[in-house]
Amino acid sequence: MSRIGVFVCHCGENISRTVDVERVAAQVGKLPGVAFATDYKYMCSDPGQNLLKKAIIEQKLSHVVVAACSPRMHERTFRKAVESAGINPFLCEMANIREHCSWVHENREEATVKAIEIVGMMVERVKKNRVLPTITVPVTKRSLVIGGGIAGIQAALDIADCGHEVVLVEREPSIGGHMAQLSETFPTLDCSQCIMTPKMVDVANHPKIKLYSYSEIELVEGYIGNFQVTIRKKARSVDEDKCTGCGLCMEKCPIKKIPSKFDCNLGMRTAIYVPFPQAVPNTPVIDRENCTKFKTGKCGLCQKVCGPGAVDYEQEDRLIVEPVGAIVVATGFDLYTINEKPKGSMIKGYGEFGHGKIPDVIDGMTFERLASASGPTGGKILRPSDGKEPKQIVFIQCIGSRAREKGISYCSKVCCMYTAKHTMLYHHKVHDGQAYVFFMDARTPGKSYDEFWRRSIEEEEAVYIRGMVSRLYQKGDKIVVMGSDIAVGVQVEIEADMVVLATAIQPQKGADTLAQKLGISYDKYNFYSEAHAKLRPVECATAGIYLAGACQGPKDIPDTVSQASAAAAKVMTLFAKDQLEREPIVARVREAGCVGCFYCKKVCPYGAVEEKEIRDRQGNLIRVVAYVNPGVCGGCGTCQATCPSKSVELDGYTDEQIVAMIEAL
Amino acid sequence: MKEKLNYSYYPGCSLHASAGEYDLSTRELFKKLKIGLTEVPDWFCCGATPAHNVDELLSLSLCAKNLELADKVEGDLAVACAACFSRLKTTQNVLSESEVKRKQVEKAIDAPVILDSHVKHLLEILARDLGPERLAQSVNKPLSGLKVACYYGCLLTRPTDVPNLDCVEAPTIMEDVLKAVGAETVAWTHRMECCGANFTLSRPGVVIQLTNAILDSAKAAGADCVMVACPLCHGNLDIRQKEIEGVYSVNYNLPVFYLTQLVGLAVGLGPDKLGLAAMMVNPLPLLKEKGLL
Ligand SMILES: Cc1cc2nc3c(=O)[nH]c(=O)nc-3n(C[C@H](O)[C@H](O)[C@H](O)COP(=O)(O)OP(=O)(O)OC[C@H]3O[C@@H](n4cnc5c(N)ncnc54)[C@H](O)[C@@H]3O)c2cc1C
Ligand code: SF4
Ligand code: SF4
Repeated sequence: MSRIGVFVCHCGENISRTVDVERVAAQVGKLPGVAFATDYKYMCSDPGQNLLKKAIIEQKLSHVVVAACSPRMHERTFRKAVESAGINPFLCEMANIREHCSWVHENREEATVKAIEIVGMMVERVKKNRVLPTITVPVTKRSLVIGGGIAGIQAALDIADCGHEVVLVEREPSIGGHMAQLSETFPTLDCSQCIMTPKMVDVANHPKIKLYSYSEIELVEGYIGNFQVTIRKKARSVDEDKCTGCGLCMEKCPIKKIPSKFDCNLGMRTAIYVPFPQAVPNTPVIDRENCTKFKTGKCGLCQKVCGPGAVDYEQEDRLIVEPVGAIVVATGFDLYTINEKPKGSMIKGYGEFGHGKIPDVIDGMTFERLASASGPTGGKILRPSDGKEPKQIVFIQCIGSRAREKGISYCSKVCCMYTAKHTMLYHHKVHDGQAYVFFMDARTPGKSYDEFWRRSIEEEEAVYIRGMVSRLYQKGDKIVVMGSDIAVGVQVEIEADMVVLATAIQPQKGADTLAQKLGISYDKYNFYSEAHAKLRPVECATAGIYLAGACQGPKDIPDTVSQASAAAAKVMTLFAKDQLEREPIVARVREAGCVGCFYCKKVCPYGAVEEKEIRDRQGNLIRVVAYVNPGVCGGCGTCQATCPSKSVELDGYTDEQIVAMIEAL
Repeated sequence: MKEKLNYSYYPGCSLHASAGEYDLSTRELFKKLKIGLTEVPDWFCCGATPAHNVDELLSLSLCAKNLELADKVEGDLAVACAACFSRLKTTQNVLSESEVKRKQVEKAIDAPVILDSHVKHLLEILARDLGPERLAQSVNKPLSGLKVACYYGCLLTRPTDVPNLDCVEAPTIMEDVLKAVGAETVAWTHRMECCGANFTLSRPGVVIQLTNAILDSAKAAGADCVMVACPLCHGNLDIRQKEIEGVYSVNYNLPVFYLTQLVGLAVGLGPDKLGLAAMMVNPLPLLKEKGLL
């Protein structure tokens, strides 16, 4: 006969306000098998846990039910407490009378009756619980970092500096991400290249970092501590080991007029190219869509001039499998292309601004390239249309951001600050020019941020107009900006030479596909979701996967770097142990009953079901049955629901337990 | 071939008064295109722009009652005026979101509130229900060579939170219809700017200024004429055009057509069936010049 202890929590007033907890304890105490029942204000607190432990010992309890909040909140807490008092942790269950009861009901009498039923169900269930052993799995102490922007670079360096190997996968031909494109950075105006490129070089030279550039994630299998990642190394057409980076091929390539994505289409590149001179790795890649050799079979100049014979037109994509124990996702952001109205998307576009049609209406990143000393104009602010210096420039903030009717309601966080920076850079370079900024609010929380913004107005003479712009149109060689000044309550029209739009930060294209491969969750905008907004901001709900940088939400560089180092610290915490404990909530096959239909194998989303041969003593094959690999099983129970002969069951969620609960109702 | 199209018809007050030619050309065009059009018996004013500024319940009730009357006639509801269209759609939206208001209105009109009927502007009927292909098939006098500035004004695509007929800020539905009948459309800057609408009586100074900017932009873009789908816009652009020309010492001479007049021309309706004589800026010289008469 079991001796069950029931502990009913008040949760301060969260439960006791609507549920008569004393009555619940008294009532449940009468159930057969319950040896002890009590209530307490905060069961999870230190005195609460002590009460639990003391009762287990004094009352010689065999099973425990804690009636409190959701098991997601405190199941681990109470199982640990129970274990320290000498009971197997899986003989402790939680009855959720907060989320499932007190929070959703108002009528005290009805809520109390419901709470009694919920606890009663768990009492019947716990009677059927079995002692489960903790499962341990080994940890592969190597880490994968996806994305080589400043987030990925920082995380990779931190982990590698601790002596653990890092596999860094970057989709583009070079690492660096958006930060490599920036001119000078707020709030200190130090040159982005000067603080970024040394870190890129560190990555290239680090003995513990294995860099796969121009590569993508193909497949992710396994689980925390034991992932198998398949990486697609796209054909570069240049052998990385042979190439010396001399650049002769690029000099000779006759196809010279391809708009450079890195320079926001302001500059041109060749068909064989490195995205920018400081690229890491400094190995060119052939853009096969534009290369004459690939289009017509002729040319082949680059191969002829290449001294070390590195150019290889035959190269093919390669698939490489890397075992890793942890994954840091750092895939960053993209800017919202506002003239596009993506099909089937909730985002509506801004046709009225003529972006993409009026050449001198540009976005913030294009302005960064104009202002960058290594950019296509050598750092001179010149209009894309005619190369003239704009004397009146208008910046418009919140394009796409905070515009619910256009489909995005969030704030992109960095635009207020970089627009202030842009007005300064402009004023430094065009002394007789005037900058105007249309803004809704200036959001400048951050160390030295508000001071920076004030400086743009007070010292750099930017004119800030609170209000939005309805329309932009070309009139002669001017752009008419029609806006409103809501502080004064008048309409404003400015004839500008150039307009810069602070367009919204969005997740990288394909962020959702990658998330599906990784099995992590994302929000409606495709930003990746952290496990807890406040207390677990760098972990995914999927164990062993961590987040860094703008892929989780808009972020500036200081925030990105902090999060990247935090993610690295989490990886190191994981790698500090040799063995990982995992919950034994895994499926188990009753071999005697298994008919070998392998329906379970077909439905298992984790690929945990294997085929096991049963042989007699002479080694003759008798039958083939299913076997669930406990290291891989995700505990979803799909196999249990599918098995026609009821031969596979999830430990902790057996049919017997569930039926007992139903019968208790 | 799809089934025959059939609509109930809510002309709105203007079409029975200052915009008689819009009403006439609509009926004639639909007859010609073999689209059924039955005027809602006993319809009355929807309250248009003034009512909802004064009393929300009144404005919702006026529209709700008209919707209820329209529901008794077969077919989706065809609406000609952009203001009526915007109010009727808004009413459906507001009432489907608020049970409290729905109950109040039900009491006020002493009839059920109809939320699931389809309210369609004439533009939608031509561009979507009939569709550019079938429209093009009915054309026997393509408007080739005619350069038209399509003027949307404010209300056709607004308010923004009500599911509406096209993109709020950069719609193309008018251009779509005109392309189907062979006209050329110009890209211009003021296609969505407000003309001042019914402030024409209380603040004519403002309306003249706004309307001038619109005409100026259309002219600058090389348009021969303007097309509208709203009697209020028409009033300002057409009736006030002479006055504006005087105030600003300019010469626009831009005929302002209703949607149904231009499409009517293309399917072969004569000037008398389109009410061209009622237009203040005489369109006949332009149409003759382009060989469209
Ligand atoms: C115009 C502008 C100006 C700015 N100015 C400043 C400033 O002055 N100061 C400041 O603090 N911040 C500034 N920022 C913000 C700054 O750019 C970001 O904080 C920073 O770049 C975020 O870094 P990240 O590594 O998270 O993302 P990213 O820089 O976007 O890097 C992501 C990387 O991941 C790669 N990647 C994406 N998807 C995949 C995939 N599926 N597989 C493999 N690799 C992938 C990308 O190619 C890229 O290299 C500015 C932003 C903008 C738009
Ligand atoms: S591929 Fe050859 S030519 Fe081109 S940079 Fe490398 S070594 Fe030089
Ligand atoms: S083969 Fe292609 S990449 Fe090489 S030089 Fe010719 S066009 Fe350029």
